Amino acid sequence: MSFATAFFLAFFGIAAIWFGIVVFRTHSMVRSAIALLFSQTAIGAMFLVMQAEFLGVLQIMMMATEMSVMAIFMVMFMMDPGGMGKMDMTHQKRLSLWAGGIGLVAALAVIWTAGWQGPVPEVPGADEQARALGREILGRSMFVFESAALMILTAMIAATMVAIAPQEKDRP
Amino acid sequence: MTIVIILFALALGCYAVAVLEGWAVHGRLSLTRPAISALALLGREKIMPRTPDRLYYEAGPVLLLIAGLLAVAVIPLAPGLIITDLAIGALFLNAALAYVLVALIMAGWGPNGAYGMISGWRFLGQFIAYAMLIVMPITAVAMRAESLSTTQIVLSQAGLWNIAYQPIGFVLFVVAAMGVAWLPPVDLPTGGGDLASGVTAEYTGARLAVFRLARLVIIVALAGATVTFYLGGWLGPWLPGWAWSALKTLAVIAALLLGGRHLPRLREARYLAVSWKLGISLALANIFLVGVIALVVPL
Repeated sequence: MSFATAFFLAFFGIAAIWFGIVVFRTHSMVRSAIALLFSQTAIGAMFLVMQAEFLGVLQIMMMATEMSVMAIFMVMFMMDPGGMGKMDMTHQKRLSLWAGGIGLVAALAVIWTAGWQGPVPEVPGADEQARALGREILGRSMFVFESAALMILTAMIAATMVAIAPQEKDRP
Repeated sequence: MTIVIILFALALGCYAVAVLEGWAVHGRLSLTRPAISALALLGREKIMPRTPDRLYYEAGPVLLLIAGLLAVAVIPLAPGLIITDLAIGALFLNAALAYVLVALIMAGWGPNGAYGMISGWRFLGQFIAYAMLIVMPITAVAMRAESLSTTQIVLSQAGLWNIAYQPIGFVLFVVAAMGVAWLPPVDLPTGGGDLASGVTAEYTGARLAVFRLARLVIIVALAGATVTFYLGGWLGPWLPGWAWSALKTLAVIAALLLGGRHLPRLREARYLAVSWKLGISLALANIFLVGVIALVVPL
């Protein structure tokens, strides 16, 4: 890995983490959503540094739309979307700390124990990567991919249903 | 050098859009009006709304301009006359145009004004309507070219332009492109006479100039994309490649600006309903048809 690659990888990695922190430091819902967008965009830039053109551009494209849609949901359902009333976004702090800590340990364990095969000497061309990705998604990974999509859809509908306050006419 | 030539061509294209739009709106052809308006905007007082989200207020128009410029980067004017010939150019164009939405939401939210904010969110509704109809026709185009590279896509049309090969995709793409650039009849985000010009309501002076310039760049980028994907790019007899690109792009710009002006303005909810119920079915049919033709007819 050349110095430039390492430098930009670290730069965008730190940017992704920093924007991730900004998500929770701001009180404005739209700022929070767009900060998450830029965190994800930085991850897309990391893909680009690693010469995974298709994955990087796809990440940058998808996140723009997803985070914008998320922003309007946050504005609709939060009581103080502008963050002018100094609303506290954190709650259940002890549980969150534990969940975050366990998640971090699990992620690190996976990173340390996985058998990484080291960087490939020759990066395949971008069109070659797109072809290989297509074969992977329509082959071995199809079930994982489709079930993930279904789970996300279910979670979106369920979260919206939970967030909507019951109307007077709906009550028995 | 290529970059300079393309930026120069882009500037000419933007000026042409401004002249044509002035002609379409005011009914009088004036070659100097856009320049005078731009100078007037730059010299005008820059009014700052009360308690804005300063970061978003300033970043919105600039991000819009960057999104447009990035989209232009993968549009070929002639063989070799392209800023960057990415192997995934068509996807890159989509990614750049996705940030139009982000920029409009930021610009709508930033100034702390109701009109701007509502228009920004309206554009989100409009986005959900057109997003699939930008991506799915491009999928069919890429299927024929067997590549996402914009240069390859133009070369694949040497035998027959895509407008004849996949006319359904062409119509869907143009309708969706009008949504991206919020051209009439889907101009709700900045529609005059509705919500005091929406997103631009609180912008004045140089910031408004940047915003309007960015919109011109986006219109040129979309016209260039239409030419690249459906009208055979630089291909054509007698004239050199760049001249064909320029002529076709100007023709598409004129059609985009004039066509929708005679239709009643479309509410984003209606646009959404038509796009999803009719548009996506047609787009899927288009992908299927193109797949079958590509397998059966070697063209």
